[in-house]
Amino acid sequence: MAFTITCPVCGPRDGYEFRFGGEDKGPRPEAADLTPAAWCDYVHMADSRPGVQKEWWVHRQGCGAWFTIHRDTVANQEVSLNLLEAAE
Amino acid sequence: MLGRFKRLWDAKPMKTHYDAVIIGGGLHGLATAYFLARNHGLTDVAVIEKRYIGFGAAGRNTAIVRANQRTQENLPLYKEALDLWPVLTRELDFNLMFYNCGNLNLAHSEAALKAMRLQVASAQFQGIDSRLLDAKECRELVPALDISDRPRYPIFGGMFHPPGGIVRHDAVVWGLARGAAKRGVHIHQGTSATGIGVEGGKAAWVDTDRGRIRTPRVLNAAGAYSAGLANRFLGQRLPISVLTIQAMVTQPLKPLLHHVVSSGAYHCYANQTLKGEIATGAHMDPWPNYTTQTTAHYIKHQAEAVTEFLPCLKGLKFMRTWGGLADMTPDMAPIMDGHSPAEGYYLDCGWGYFGFKSSTVTGKYMAQYMATGECPEILKPFALKRFEEHRLMGETAALVDYTANN
Amino acid sequence: MNRLKHLPTLRITPGAARSFTYGKHTFEGLQGDTVATALFANGVRVFGRSLKYHRPRGLYSLDGECSNTLMEVDGVPNVRTETTPLTAGIRVAAQNVMGRPELDLLGVLDAFSWAMPAGFYYRMFHRPARVWPLAIQQIRKAAGLGRLSPDFRMPGRFDEIYPAADVCVLGGGPAGLSAALAAAERGLRVILLEARPWLGGAFEYRAADDGDGVALHRKARDLAAAVAARPEIRVFTQAPAIGVYSDGQVTAFQRGGPDQSFDERYIEIRAAAVVVATGCGERPLLFEHNERPGVMQPACAQRLARTWGLLAGTEAVFSVGHDLGLEAAVDLFDLGLKVAAVADIREDGQDPTLVKALAQRNIPLLKGWVARKAHGGNRVTGATLTSVNGRFHRRLTCDLLAAAAGLTPATGPLTLAQSQLAFDPHTGYFLPRTLPKGLQAAGRLLGLESWAAVTASGRRAGLQAAADAGADCQAAIRESEAALRDLPGAVRGSKFVIAPGCGRKAFICFDEDTTVKNVDQAMAMGFDVPELIKRFTSAGTGPGQGGIPGHNLPLYVAQTGLSPDAHPRPTTARPPLVPTLLATYAGAQHDMSKRTPLHDLQVACGGRMERVGVWTRARRFTDDPRCRTEILNVRTNVGLLDASTLGKFLIFGPDALKALQRVYVSDMARMTPGRAKYSAMCNDDGCITDDGVVVQTAENDYYFTTSTARAGVTVEWFRYHTRYDGWCYHLVNLTDAYGVLNLAGPKAREVLSRVTTADVSNAAFPYMGYREMAIHGVPVRALRLGFVGELSYELHVPSSYMPALWDLLMEAGRLEGIRPFGLEAQNALRMEKGHLIIGSESEQRTTLHDVGLGFLWQREKADQRLVGAAALMQTERQPGRLKLVGFKMADPSGPPPRDGSPIVDARIRGYVCTARYSFTLKEPVGLALVEDGLAQEGARLAIYEDGCQGQLTHAVVTPYPFYDPEGRRLRQ
Ligand SMILES: Cc1cc2nc3c(=O)[nH]c(=O)nc-3n(C[C@H](O)[C@H](O)[C@H](O)COP(=O)(O)OP(=O)(O)OC[C@H]3O[C@@H](n4cnc5c(N)ncnc54)[C@H](O)[C@@H]3O)c2cc1C
Ligand SMILES: [Zn+2]
Repeated sequence: MAFTITCPVCGPRDGYEFRFGGEDKGPRPEAADLTPAAWCDYVHMADSRPGVQKEWWVHRQGCGAWFTIHRDTVANQEVSLNLLEAAE
Repeated sequence: MLGRFKRLWDAKPMKTHYDAVIIGGGLHGLATAYFLARNHGLTDVAVIEKRYIGFGAAGRNTAIVRANQRTQENLPLYKEALDLWPVLTRELDFNLMFYNCGNLNLAHSEAALKAMRLQVASAQFQGIDSRLLDAKECRELVPALDISDRPRYPIFGGMFHPPGGIVRHDAVVWGLARGAAKRGVHIHQGTSATGIGVEGGKAAWVDTDRGRIRTPRVLNAAGAYSAGLANRFLGQRLPISVLTIQAMVTQPLKPLLHHVVSSGAYHCYANQTLKGEIATGAHMDPWPNYTTQTTAHYIKHQAEAVTEFLPCLKGLKFMRTWGGLADMTPDMAPIMDGHSPAEGYYLDCGWGYFGFKSSTVTGKYMAQYMATGECPEILKPFALKRFEEHRLMGETAALVDYTANN
Repeated sequence: MNRLKHLPTLRITPGAARSFTYGKHTFEGLQGDTVATALFANGVRVFGRSLKYHRPRGLYSLDGECSNTLMEVDGVPNVRTETTPLTAGIRVAAQNVMGRPELDLLGVLDAFSWAMPAGFYYRMFHRPARVWPLAIQQIRKAAGLGRLSPDFRMPGRFDEIYPAADVCVLGGGPAGLSAALAAAERGLRVILLEARPWLGGAFEYRAADDGDGVALHRKARDLAAAVAARPEIRVFTQAPAIGVYSDGQVTAFQRGGPDQSFDERYIEIRAAAVVVATGCGERPLLFEHNERPGVMQPACAQRLARTWGLLAGTEAVFSVGHDLGLEAAVDLFDLGLKVAAVADIREDGQDPTLVKALAQRNIPLLKGWVARKAHGGNRVTGATLTSVNGRFHRRLTCDLLAAAAGLTPATGPLTLAQSQLAFDPHTGYFLPRTLPKGLQAAGRLLGLESWAAVTASGRRAGLQAAADAGADCQAAIRESEAALRDLPGAVRGSKFVIAPGCGRKAFICFDEDTTVKNVDQAMAMGFDVPELIKRFTSAGTGPGQGGIPGHNLPLYVAQTGLSPDAHPRPTTARPPLVPTLLATYAGAQHDMSKRTPLHDLQVACGGRMERVGVWTRARRFTDDPRCRTEILNVRTNVGLLDASTLGKFLIFGPDALKALQRVYVSDMARMTPGRAKYSAMCNDDGCITDDGVVVQTAENDYYFTTSTARAGVTVEWFRYHTRYDGWCYHLVNLTDAYGVLNLAGPKAREVLSRVTTADVSNAAFPYMGYREMAIHGVPVRALRLGFVGELSYELHVPSSYMPALWDLLMEAGRLEGIRPFGLEAQNALRMEKGHLIIGSESEQRTTLHDVGLGFLWQREKADQRLVGAAALMQTERQPGRLKLVGFKMADPSGPPPRDGSPIVDARIRGYVCTARYSFTLKEPVGLALVEDGLAQEGARLAIYEDGCQGQLTHAVVTPYPFYDPEGRRLRQ
């Protein structure tokens, strides 16, 4: 397979120019009242489900932007949000 | 004539109740089933396999075995696994083709040599044969190595581990399946687990696309699919990234490499199979994936890497490349656990690209865990809790680059 | 051997002789020959021996689908001689033979094939256990084709290119050519890949016509000329596609030569649309001894004659299942071959013109007949034919048995591109049921046969690809579809696989010597689908992969009725579609190590350069691995270190401070102008990932350094951890733009003051100070730090000034005895001083607390959601962690333990991180990570060094820094 990611700044580029940044888990929680379990859940745990997920990428060998895309981890293909919404 | 060619295992009708259900007909699932029957008399066991046994990483790996890991928690497990190959060959009466050729791991920097010294001495401390070699000794062992200053990462030395080697992965799958089936285990191929039922905090059934099976014991041994299943069936979240890993072989040729050779700096290993092919692979596409498709990038990178330290291989041709899945944890060590989130639910995953070598021994201890309900001492360090308790295993010295967390 | 002359289809140049050696012989071929055709012309019939049974093997197809004609050429094993152009002077040798190919001493193995049924390895050699190691050696020797010397170095020039196109067409037959033209006419850029040296595909050698009197080879050549004339089309010949991936990515390699800048090159294409027009090959027919030399595919015999002027025999029997097979018989007869009979699997449905042509030539056509057995050893001497129902037999004498069951489409590229294939009972092919977006298929691989239909389907696919690539051509597509509908559709194909009543030696896979019997055995053992049969019998896993068995295996398995697959299911194809040299994949093997601006100057000073991460750096400047003089010179005089690899960053903007607060453990709001602040970064595990200094240069304006290893990820790291916040700050990586010199030693100030007018006195520029100054007009950011434990200045200057500054300082410091020092000296110096290097004194799971830097964490700083804060809290007092300690040896006269040595009691309790003999303290000192129980001062550490055989050495935990614990020297 080839892999293409659409960078919001640079447009569609070869996937190897990017680095994966994890499933989208929302903003950082406040540290003070985090239980070890909640901390671990935010830092280490993931859903790891086959299918479409929202995830972070950085255009490492390009503009350096961090951004999210939706990607189908079974086909390893970016899914456009419009298509996703249409399917729902 | 056909009489000599008996089925290795029979397709039995699926029952509605088993004493134990194992999800995943890979190495770990089959080994656990085998040892449940062999060591604990638990023969009323079903192995549920979505496609055919060995469809997953069990049938895609490059079957390198060794016992020269970094931590003392891992070493005994892998050592016992190494010792098991000849035993199982005899016991299963199936030639697992353990080719005890030894593994040479190359160091391309002072830092790598230092890391190896810890590994070598730790192995020796535990009574495992492992030695440090200088570059010249490496070349004496593997004449094809280029120990000159030409490669971008010249060879500084290496770690040689004589007891390791390669095994025929398919043989292990088939041998274990035959051995388990002989003892009464049912192997249901073409059957997908679709859910796990919990009643009163206890595992109670497994749903499959061929109906519900009631059982008090469930093992999630679906390899790289385990994390996704755990999440879907039980809402369990795991510290796992599933990555595509590829491997490839050259056309076969007469004996050239007599040991497994690997190099961390080049993300690369190479060994010659008994069929004469040079098998090579190692680095992974560093983003989660459930695809087993291959990439142009990878095979090219692999050719660049392996011919840096084994330049003669430039004269060979790749004839086949394939992909499999590796479920990676942040500390490069597996997760073996039980009774969470439901009693009677067991988990054996996170084996990444190193779970072939340990599969039989893991099966042995997971079987003990499942039969007794008590976690064997040797498995305790591998519990899921370690992530929450800030006790990563330390199997890798360096930070792992598969998540953005470091 | 005399060549046929004056054929318009010939590709050889008569008179242009090329001599080469084969074993002990010197042979001559012609310009235009392949290695295989040249050997054939010189009478070679046995090209090699098969893998398992050492059966003689010869020319079978001409596109290298199997290992029959793999040979060693100039030391390179497994060369596909059928597709390798003959060049003068090459050395060719047969493979897998003991003796000569014609008389192979291991040929006897063929008689013992009964002892090697499917999967016999799994069931033998392990009882008793002691035979197995011996068996391994025998198995290894027997396995494999070809040899490679460990000292072999691949000659030749290898290269790589990455062209882009709108449309990429695979296959240069009429379908591919028409597709390329159609897209080019729409103004699109086209790349066309063709494996053979010329265009025209399976039409360029055919003398037949489609009823209009124009020979097909003429048409094919005219079409090729039209393509060559289009500037939009870039044609690559001798360039087989090897990979087809999603998003229009196609890989190939191309053979070059003396006229080109490369001998072979890797090609990676990105196109908006891809057309697969790879045509068909002939599907092997299975019968007893179906791979004897002299058994070959009809098209092979025909191309030998038409392209290379070689008649493959004197008297032939044909056994075919397709019209092209009949055409080959007629054509070869006209070229002078005697044809004893033509057996055709089909009872009816033959092209009447061909039937008539056979009759006119008195060639008996046996409808519903098929070859059952080839006779002979090293060469075919006869053939037994049988009626398809198995009732009648007839034996004929011949030296050529041209046999094929029909055609097989070259679907590899479609499979790789994730097209779903389904079995089509009409053609007997696996046809694409779905095509992924941007992929089109055309031509014979869809079952089309006539020139008109093939070209029309190519045109349609080309237009559709153009549309996929964004061209507006819907009307033209509709027209092309209409045109195609009026032409003959896919022709009926045969599904016949194996002749009735043939014996044990009908080979479904030549490369692995897999017989149909082996397949039966595997199925009886429960391996009842093709993918598992492949695994158990090895069929299709040899050098030619699925080339020979790929189509027959699923057909056969489905026909047994014993498989759960009632309909044939295609077996998988995997890249590379054509075996490809590692040299070619490796291509130019570009190397991208970074050099500092001082690289050459350091080499000139005797620097021993080493790759360290992405950089090449100086490890030391003398032969002494312990670097005694370098170290002592820094301690007593002054040394100069190239620290250019340090990460150097600017961060500025209204939210710059917030970002710093997020990632640095210290309170970055508390900074003093003109002073550097040392701090560290942790990951979310609280584990230390980086340390460095930060200076505030103006309001909202900071300059900071990171460790070398983190320089590449720092911007990413900041941005990642602030990605939800929308803060406004800019981060500029100056690592490559600035170089750094570390001037260190008690005499550093004298040297510095000699090159600048700035006041560098201790009062004006104290320890941890930051100054911007000029050195001979060069703007310098100067930091007074002390990593190596001495008075030292870190001078950051624009990279281009670095060599000048180096020269200035070396000159200025001559009196003080300045010398460069390298990484090893730095390592020993900083360790004596108790300064850590992350990754050396820490590992993945080492927290800030563990290395004793917990004091840097200013937890009371304003809420900035510090990365790692939660873990730092939770691990602060956690027992059982590995802690960093200093140690000295119980016996100070002994050597230091080697780095990495474990510290043990009954278990492993930690390990030595760095230990060196201290030339200053005159005894070994070191740092180690040990379990907290052993971390108290005075604790005795037992060190287990590799190779010690249980002889432990002992050390005692000692406070560190070992050197200048009060830090006076830094402040002097
Ligand atoms: C390319 C590659 C090379 C490798 N090389 C080595 C090596 O050299 N040495 C080494 O030690 N290890 C290696 N490994 C790792 C090793 O193969 C794996 O760690 C190990 O096989 C994983 O355990 P398993 O066999 O139980 O998993 P798998 O073999 O993946 O088994 C899991 C099974 O679960 C099935 N399954 C999934 N979902 C369901 C469901 N819902 N219901 C029922 N069944 C399901 C799958 O079909 C699969 O058959 C390699 C892996 C790969 C991919
Ligand atoms: Zn970008």
